[in-house]
Amino acid sequence: MRYVRVLLFVLVVLVIMAVPLALVLARSYFLAPTAQPVKAQPIQFPHQVHVQAIGLDCTFCHRNATTSAQATLPPIELCMQCHKVIPTQGRPELEKLVAAFEQNQPILWNKVHQIPDHTHFVHSVHLSFGFQCSTCHGDVGAMGKPGVQQVRDLRMGDCITCHQQNGARTDCSVCHY
Amino acid sequence: MRRRDFLKVAATSATGAVLFAGCGRIGDGVPETEFKIAQPVHTPNDWVYGRDAWFATAAPPEQGGYGLIVRVFEGRAKKVDGNPDFPGVLGKSDARAQALVQELYHPDRITGPQRASTRGGQVQSISWDDALQEVVGILREAGGERAVLITGRPSSSQAAIIAAFRQATGIRHAILEPDEFVALRTAMRRLFGTSMLPIPDLANAAFLLNFSAEFLHGWIAPVALARAYGAFRQGHSGHRGLYYHVGPRLSATAANADRWFPIVPGSEGLVALGIANVLLTEGKLPAERFQPYLAALGLDAARLTSDYTPERVAEASGLGAEQIRELAHALIEHQPAVVIAGTNAAATTNGLFNLVAAFGLNLVLGTVDQPGGLLLNPEPVLPELRVPDDAILNQQQWAQLVEQIRSGSVSTVLVHRANPVYSLPATLGVADALRAAQHVVSFSPFFDETTLLADLVLPDLVWLEQWGLQVPDPGPGYAAVAIQQPVVQPFADGRAFGDVLIQLAQQLGKPLPWASQEEATKTLALGLRQVSGGNIRAGNDSEFLVTLQAQGGWWSEGTRGQAGTPATAIVQPRDPEFAGDAGQYPLLLLPYPSPAIGYGEFAHLPWLQALPEPISTNVWQTWIEVGQRTADELGLTTGDVVRVSTPQGTVELPVYVNPAGQPGIVAIPFGQGHTAFGRYAEGRGLNPLAIVAPQSDPDAGTLAWCATRCRLEKTGRRTRLARFEGMVPAFQLEEFPIVRVMPPSA
Repeated sequence: MRYVRVLLFVLVVLVIMAVPLALVLARSYFLAPTAQPVKAQPIQFPHQVHVQAIGLDCTFCHRNATTSAQATLPPIELCMQCHKVIPTQGRPELEKLVAAFEQNQPILWNKVHQIPDHTHFVHSVHLSFGFQCSTCHGDVGAMGKPGVQQVRDLRMGDCITCHQQNGARTDCSVCHY
Repeated sequence: MRRRDFLKVAATSATGAVLFAGCGRIGDGVPETEFKIAQPVHTPNDWVYGRDAWFATAAPPEQGGYGLIVRVFEGRAKKVDGNPDFPGVLGKSDARAQALVQELYHPDRITGPQRASTRGGQVQSISWDDALQEVVGILREAGGERAVLITGRPSSSQAAIIAAFRQATGIRHAILEPDEFVALRTAMRRLFGTSMLPIPDLANAAFLLNFSAEFLHGWIAPVALARAYGAFRQGHSGHRGLYYHVGPRLSATAANADRWFPIVPGSEGLVALGIANVLLTEGKLPAERFQPYLAALGLDAARLTSDYTPERVAEASGLGAEQIRELAHALIEHQPAVVIAGTNAAATTNGLFNLVAAFGLNLVLGTVDQPGGLLLNPEPVLPELRVPDDAILNQQQWAQLVEQIRSGSVSTVLVHRANPVYSLPATLGVADALRAAQHVVSFSPFFDETTLLADLVLPDLVWLEQWGLQVPDPGPGYAAVAIQQPVVQPFADGRAFGDVLIQLAQQLGKPLPWASQEEATKTLALGLRQVSGGNIRAGNDSEFLVTLQAQGGWWSEGTRGQAGTPATAIVQPRDPEFAGDAGQYPLLLLPYPSPAIGYGEFAHLPWLQALPEPISTNVWQTWIEVGQRTADELGLTTGDVVRVSTPQGTVELPVYVNPAGQPGIVAIPFGQGHTAFGRYAEGRGLNPLAIVAPQSDPDAGTLAWCATRCRLEKTGRRTRLARFEGMVPAFQLEEFPIVRVMPPSA
């Protein structure tokens, strides 16, 4: 009987220890960037139409991705090179784009992939190594309205794991300089 | 405890802790605009190559006003560094400059104009038009001599705008600077006839004698002086600069010295006189060099040689007579030598005397304006860029102004980037006076203690969002002006303070010469083009401005500082006095500015809160530093909570035992004790001004916050100090034995 009581006690302690562990894991899971809902954007931009239907390459708009640190958003004038001949009537999202251009107002997007300011991420290095945009950003070309969702964690653990798997350096100064 | 109770408590606390920690979500408290990315209509220059752009700007006046550069991409300021071209700093910066980005993205920034229903009560957002209209109404009803504008030290271009606003409206201007700088400027006027701060030419000096100035951790120019200190120690092959520190506390700056001479607080001036005595009696320097020194102190050679012998000075200062002779001989043996004084030396009841006696040694040594000596800085090359001396108030003048506010003769108070409710001692009753004032308008971008008492808040933009010109004070020894330009679009609906003054003047029907702060900055900057000898060669105004913005400043190495006519007031030698009976209060209380958060003006920035104080490695709190011997006598160890009593009041603080602390002296850092000023500043620690007796220096009129006695009593409670040092037990390695610090009783 005594052993049963000791066993019971150990079991209860284990259960008690498991509760906070489970909560910590749950917190990590639900608060991960990839678990967040799609951010509302000023314009519901469909990548799907531009990539899958029209066949544009990512770098047609994000022109600096292969050559520079930043992929960069295209300026509105680049959008308008095509959209000046595409009818906007009955397409409220396109009307917003044209209005921004005509009123000379920048469009304020909610940033989806946010890497901290003290981290340097160089797009061109990763692309020249042979990675695809989709390695980090997922199949953005298949994402339609309402907008892009983050599909990969992109926090430090994720960066280091990937660097280790691919034989890249993991010194602090690789990213924090 | 029974097993069942144990299980209940364990389960409840573990689950509760995790649930509590789990509340919230990613990005909690982050301003809505922080993670916005602007898609511009046309391609901006810095997007063409997809690389970060670096923009030149200037540090705020309270950080020295030197040149900075900021890394920016997609409208987001990411990193601050020193401007590699800017004289003095040459690419260096410090933690305070780095933390400027945290002001931009601070979750507690005031997002737009606010009106308070009651003072300290609920606030509601209003439009800029309404806010300006209300302030115009106030200035019409109770402006002119009945209104006062209280600011921190303004930037040089803000000083020009404020001067024009004063002239147009007749409003008074009062500048709130830390008392040690008020005393330092008074000392400079007395000795050298200028209120611009000097800078020691450390890079070329062979010997530095420092009386208590925290020149590597705060003080007047920590970045330029830290860089020069590197050259002083290691920049010359064959010899290493020698540094002696004379002061009451082994601070981080003192710990850098080759030798530390611990003294009684406030006896710096006496030690300096003892050194002068040795130099004069031994005849190692020409006697005529002593004349201006003796004149400033109202002494003659006979009195210096008879009254301030090393033996007499040794008795009062706690040093040995031989040590004083040693200091004097070191000044002669290691040339060029430079002497500086400040921080605690300026904050005793004889602070001005300490500064005059110590800085005056440079006159005796003949190293003023010489390589390796004390370099004086010129007045700003454009008169508009001068910060008016008469607006900088000392403690006695603040007391008079507060009384005028309380009595109603000053009924309108405008406050910009100053926090008198926190920064002035509670005995002045600033908060009560502001409550009694008819109108209080704040221009702060944060709800600090003073802004909470305002009727209207018209938030200023933060530093990286504004235009301006800044004369570094102290400069590098010659004329320099840094240009401040906005590196990002404003993240909040604020307006630059200069713009608001210009718009108010416009609506009052008394327009200022400029349409905006940007125009004022550029117009004043173009004035520099007319000054010969500058670093910028330009064919026209536009080219001049572009080059100025790209280089981050204008400087002219030929325009050097020179001594003017010293002020005539004599600063009599005097001994320090301490409030409180020595029997009842046996210890001396030594507050000191925090190396990271200063006098509390940077307490709202979490990076600086988390920066360990170099000696104790404590963060985020206030503690009382007690020397090992005193701690042994009182039976105290680190983490004990003690009751600190002074004639002014009683507080409780945790103890940090410093093995190198002087017996009989306890130290408390400034900076904490905010009851407002954002989530990172509020409700932490204590403002030492709460227990400092209202002693003042009768010569400078400044608060002597280093002139109070205290006693400590154990409460029997303990707390855990957040710090780096000693959190992991040390273990012995055979090849590297640990150095043990033994208590004196062992």
